Amino acid sequence: MSRHIVLDLVERIGTLAAGDQVEVPISAGDADVVARWCERAGHQLVSIEGDRAVVRRGPLPGEATVRAAVPADRWPGTRLWIYTNFDCNLACDYCCARSSPQAPRRELGSDRIRRLVAEGARHGVTEVFLTGGEPFLLLDLDEIVRRCVEWVPTTVLTNGMLFKGRRLRMLRNMPRAGFALQISLDSASAALHDLHRGDGSWRRALAGIRTALEEGFRVRVAATVAGGEAGAEEVAAFHELLDGLGIDRSDQLIRPIAQRGFADDGVMLTVESLIPEVTVTADGVYWHPVAANHDDQLVTRELFPLDQAIDEVRRRFVQYRREADTAARRFTCA
Amino acid sequence: MTKPLLVGAVAYTPNVVPIWEGIRDYFADGPVEMDFVLFSNYGRQVDALLDGTVDVAWNTNLAWVRTVLRTQGRCQALAMRDVDLTFQTVFAARAGSGFTDLGDLRGRTVALGSRDSAQAAILPVKYLRAAGLRDGDVTLVRVDSDLGKHGDTGRSELDAIRLVLDEQADAVALGVNTWEVIGRDELMPDALSEFWRSPEYCHCNFTALDTLPDAIRQPWVEHLLAMSWDDPEQRRIMELEGLRRRWVLPELTGYESLFAAVEEQQIPAYW
Repeated sequence: MSRHIVLDLVERIGTLAAGDQVEVPISAGDADVVARWCERAGHQLVSIEGDRAVVRRGPLPGEATVRAAVPADRWPGTRLWIYTNFDCNLACDYCCARSSPQAPRRELGSDRIRRLVAEGARHGVTEVFLTGGEPFLLLDLDEIVRRCVEWVPTTVLTNGMLFKGRRLRMLRNMPRAGFALQISLDSASAALHDLHRGDGSWRRALAGIRTALEEGFRVRVAATVAGGEAGAEEVAAFHELLDGLGIDRSDQLIRPIAQRGFADDGVMLTVESLIPEVTVTADGVYWHPVAANHDDQLVTRELFPLDQAIDEVRRRFVQYRREADTAARRFTCA
Repeated sequence: MTKPLLVGAVAYTPNVVPIWEGIRDYFADGPVEMDFVLFSNYGRQVDALLDGTVDVAWNTNLAWVRTVLRTQGRCQALAMRDVDLTFQTVFAARAGSGFTDLGDLRGRTVALGSRDSAQAAILPVKYLRAAGLRDGDVTLVRVDSDLGKHGDTGRSELDAIRLVLDEQADAVALGVNTWEVIGRDELMPDALSEFWRSPEYCHCNFTALDTLPDAIRQPWVEHLLAMSWDDPEQRRIMELEGLRRRWVLPELTGYESLFAAVEEQQIPAYW
C-alpha cells in the first residue's frame, strides 16, 4: 500500500469542481483505502482498474435534491401503470405496445392487479392507470376497477369503441368517484384519426366519449399525433370539439408519438431521458408505459414484492440524474 | 442602498463559483439583494473591503485579525459557519512515535503549513511556546505552498504531512478540517497518529466595516441565518461551503488566541 495514497486523493480531488472526476494512480493494496476514503469524504468511486482509480468529486446530489427538481406528482413510484392485457380490437400503426387483435392476451388478472395496487398504495403510489391493449376486452374490468379505486384514484385508458351490450353494462357498473376514462381521439375530424387507427374508428370513438359523459364519468381525451400533424389549426379544432362536449381543458391531452412498438418515427425515449412511471405487465416491471414491451426498459421480471421494484426505479433515476448533471457540465460549449 | 450588497470571497477552489452563485441566488428572493466578487488572495480582498470596493468580505481568521488591526477596530463580524466556532489545530506524528504532549517535541523537527495559515503555522507556534518550547528547542520546517490563501487550499498541510511520512519531520501541525479530510488516523492507522489537539478557536467570518448601515446588515444577516439545511438546494450550497448544519452569529472571543499569536510573533497587519 502507498503511504501517500490518501494525501494524493485529497490533493487531486481538492482541485476539482463538484461533479468532475479524476484518475488517481494507485498501488497494489490501495483499493480498500481508496473506497473507504471516498465513502467517508462523500465522493464517488467510479472505478478501480489496475493501477488507476477514477473518483468523482462530491457532494453528489442526494435523493432530496433530485426530488426537489421533479414535480411531486411525477416522482417515480407515484403513478403506477398496469397493462391489464395486450390484445386489442384495433391495430394502430403507432402502437407502442404492438397491440392488435392478433396479439396474445398476456393478461395480468384481477387478483394480481389487486395485490399490485395494494402494495403500491402502501409504498407511495397515489394514482393507477389501467391500460393495454384494450382493457374493455376483459369482461371482469368492472371488478378490477372497483378493487383499484378502493385504494387510489384510477384511470382506464380505452379507445371507447366497445361501450355496447355486456360491456356497456360493465361500464355502468364502474364507480364514478375516484375514477376516470381516458379515451383516445387523435383529431377533430375523421381523416387523421382513421389514418392511423382504421376506417370508422373516429366516429365510434366520439360516440364512446359521448356515452361515457352521458353515464356521468369523468372523461379525459388524449390525442397521439406525429410531428407535423398537429398544426395550430388542427389543435384549435381539437380543443373546440372537446370544449363543445363539455370536457375540461385540463382533460384534453395532446402527446407525441413515441418511437416504440409499431412506430418507425417519433420521439426517442430512453431510461436516461424519461422520468420513470413504474409499469407492470404480465411479463415484468418496466421503466415507463411507452416501453412495456422492450427489454431495454425492463426493471425486473419479479412482479412481487412491488415495493422492491419501485425502490430500484427510484434508485436508478437518482443515479441517472446525477450522471446527467455531470455530463451536462462536461459538455459545456463556452 | 440601491445597488446589491457586494461580497468578496477568495477563489481557492473551482467550487467557489457554484457556492457564491448559489448564495447570490438565495439572496435574490431575500430582503437584501447581493452579488459577489472573487479575489486571488486575502490581501487583495481586505484592501477592497477597506477602499469600499466590496461591502462585505468572507474572511479567514487571519484576514479578520488584520482587518481589525488596519481599521483600529472599526469593523464588524457579521456571521460565520457553525464549523468556524469550533476550529482546532491537530498535532500528529508517525504511528508509534510515543509522543503524548507538545513538550515531547523538544529537539525534534515539526512540519508546519504555509506561514500565513493560522491553523497550520501561526497558532501552532503559539501552542509550542505555551508548552514551554523556546525558539531553537524545536526545528520548524515551513511549507509555504499557496501563500496568500491562508491555508484554505490545504495544500501546504498535505505537503507537511508528506514530510512526516517520508521521515523528514517528526510531527506535523494541521487544521482539524484537513485532519478530518484525510480520515484522521483511522484510514491508515499504521501511518499517522494524533497526539495533541488545541482548544477550539474561530475561523472564517463575514467582515464589514462599521459604516455598513444596520438597515442593510440586519436583514442580510437574518436572511443568511435562515438558510435551511432541510431545503435540498440550500443544503447543496451549505455542503459545498463546508457547513455542518447552519450559519451562526460570530463569537469574537474565539479570535483572542490568534490576536495574541499575531502580536507575539510580530506578524504584520499588511501584506
